[in-house]
Amino acid sequence: MLRYVARRLLMTLPVFVGILLISFLLTHLSGDPTDLLLTPDTPDAVREEFRRQHGLDQPIWVQFYNFSIRAVQGDFGNSLRFNQPAVELVFERLGATAELAIAAMLLAIAVGIPAGVVAAYRRNTPVDLSVRAVTLFGLAVPSFYLGVIFIVVFAVWLRWLPTGGRGTWMHLVLPATVLAVDQLALIARTTRSCMLDVLNQDYVRTARSKGLGEGWVTWGHALRNAFIPVVTVIGLQFGILLGGVVVTETVFSWPGVGRLAVQAIYARDFPVVQATVMLFAVIFVVVNLIVDIIYALLDPRIGYK
Amino acid sequence: MLATVLGAGLLGSASASTLVVAQNFDPQTLWPNGTTASDNLNAGSAIVEALFWVNPDGEVFSPLLATGYELENDTTVLVRLREGVRFSNGEPMNADAVIHSFNVFVDTAQTPAYARVSDPFQSIERVDDLTVRITLKYPYPPIELALSQLYITPPGYWNEVGLQAYGLHPIGTGPFVFDSWSRDDQLVMLPNPDYWGEAPDGVTRLVWRPVPDDIARSAGLTTGEYDIATSLPVTAALEIDANPDLSLVAVPSYRIYQIILSSLEAHPSPLHDVRVRQALNHAIDKDAIIENLLFGYGVPLRGQVLREPQLGFNPDLEDYAYDPALARQMLAEAGYPNGFTIDFKFPSGRYAQDREISEAVAGMLAEVGVQVNMIVLEPGEFLRQLRASELWPMAYVGLAPQDDPDLQVSQYHSTWRYSYIHNAELDRLIDAGRQEMNIEARAAIYRDAMTLMHEQAPIIFLFGGVDFYGVSNRVSNYTARGDGRFFFYGVSVTE
Repeated sequence: MLRYVARRLLMTLPVFVGILLISFLLTHLSGDPTDLLLTPDTPDAVREEFRRQHGLDQPIWVQFYNFSIRAVQGDFGNSLRFNQPAVELVFERLGATAELAIAAMLLAIAVGIPAGVVAAYRRNTPVDLSVRAVTLFGLAVPSFYLGVIFIVVFAVWLRWLPTGGRGTWMHLVLPATVLAVDQLALIARTTRSCMLDVLNQDYVRTARSKGLGEGWVTWGHALRNAFIPVVTVIGLQFGILLGGVVVTETVFSWPGVGRLAVQAIYARDFPVVQATVMLFAVIFVVVNLIVDIIYALLDPRIGYK
Repeated sequence: MLATVLGAGLLGSASASTLVVAQNFDPQTLWPNGTTASDNLNAGSAIVEALFWVNPDGEVFSPLLATGYELENDTTVLVRLREGVRFSNGEPMNADAVIHSFNVFVDTAQTPAYARVSDPFQSIERVDDLTVRITLKYPYPPIELALSQLYITPPGYWNEVGLQAYGLHPIGTGPFVFDSWSRDDQLVMLPNPDYWGEAPDGVTRLVWRPVPDDIARSAGLTTGEYDIATSLPVTAALEIDANPDLSLVAVPSYRIYQIILSSLEAHPSPLHDVRVRQALNHAIDKDAIIENLLFGYGVPLRGQVLREPQLGFNPDLEDYAYDPALARQMLAEAGYPNGFTIDFKFPSGRYAQDREISEAVAGMLAEVGVQVNMIVLEPGEFLRQLRASELWPMAYVGLAPQDDPDLQVSQYHSTWRYSYIHNAELDRLIDAGRQEMNIEARAAIYRDAMTLMHEQAPIIFLFGGVDFYGVSNRVSNYTARGDGRFFFYGVSVTE
């Protein structure tokens, strides 16, 4: 098991190198940050000095070399806007993003799986149809739009919840729900179709004929087997969830990494963009690793070879 | 029931004594000379004060930490400081503090964003504890503008913590002191108990919240979470105006919207012919744009780039009337009876309604036979092209230089990085205005420059923008300046 994990981790190294290269090139090819950070009437000498200070006057391959050497040590340089270490800025905001992402994921799992199971059992009934309709809606509506609608309805009209910011649990409800909707929909739909598949299997019929109660059949036999694809979906969706964080945090003024990333991209604040991309990549890889391990726990047939 | 219970707990966040301001962005630094972004300056200058300030109310230049200044000659300025003012850590605000702040201000490695403003400053010397003498490199008429941007910091604390840490936890002489800052979430300030001036009435806590989404910002104002919301879109402004609990503060902005018509040799196009440039000015119905796309919130330019209250505004100039028939006739006289096709660049997401306005302009130009290729630019790329002088032959821009005719008109000087006109006579007038210390003579020079620019039409003169602020009715005397700056002097908050 440990060897398997170690090998999996080793295999992620080329992934990180690729991500470093892509994030570096994409940010540097998209324009010069001095135009965005200094006013247009700044004298040329001052502008050049600014570029020199931040190493932007070097040839791009030299910049990439310096960047890579520092990046492997976890140093992405100072933010061009804040003049503080980029990593520090990202880590300052990581707690808020983790809180939001985990709340959204838990909500999606807590609602999505039971909804999928119920829909599968009540196949083609109004219950099933409504689950399918709602989840289709969830998948179709973009989160920035849903976020605005939620603000208008629940904050402005009903005055139940605040429009944004972070503080009490009430501040978490709207952004976590908006972020969860996408995941929830996919989890519910995957659970439903996997359950339908599993419910027709022989071992389910056997379990029933043994006289096991329907609850035990569902949760003990069927769901455990239906779970394997669902776990994959949850793992993969976590990456999409991190993407959703970028939009949701901006709409709800949530002080997280996603919002920092958006502002950094607009300002061409390379070090912050790269630190964020790297952090998200690490999270994504780790989550996928965990998913692989859970696989094996769920299905002993999956080995570590 | 649920609404009442939940609502009671949370909607009191903007309470009687707490003033909550929602801006677009969290400040990068609270040291006002660290950036020129208004979101930073508004928050930072509640703690750190300048020698002078320009009161938004009537745009009057007034003393703050200084009590006044006098010109000893064209290049030396004697500044007298206010007596008995201390920084909130107890350090005295005196000549030494001003000299320290001046030396930081003119060091462009530390203040790159202020390089142009600090350029005329040569040196400073102490006359006595409350007087300093500033020497200029050359006569500089907008000296008041420069003096109003020199923020005074305590030398002892500054030297102890350094520039970066100062920006995160500033100490100043202002009406508020720093309390806490949770980045991207909220910045909290408390009243300065020893404030030398008149503190804002009724505020026991000042909270700054960064709310990047326009709709969320105006929604929070409507629900009472915020008392002041800045940079609102015009659509939200209409709603706020209709809400009896809120007031809309609409401030004519210093941003001047125009369409560049490049006549530079390096930029070949039909726009080299002055008749074509004038014709295009006649082709645009700016009133219709203001009425329909900006809901009436725009100030049409009167055929010149200076605004009516500004020094050098020429009241004798008549605007180019909207007259498509005349435009077509002038184009025919210039040799384009069937019009022509030309590239037109514009940003999307940089200015209010930029795409819609550009599309309207394109439609109006088509009416007189000028077909445009619309080239839409992402804001970052747009700024790069502006600076690199690549926004030719035609582009929609909103320029917001600082509020002085020299800084406005210099943008059309042939040596200016992104000037799209090369006119020796205009250069001569701009150079003369830049050195003229006599106000009347200076105004006359700029009036002539406005006349010349009007004839030469290096741009399509569109309109001045309007900035919108939503303010709760419990806030009194709130006003803002056309550069997005606002202050708390004289502001009061009631239940």
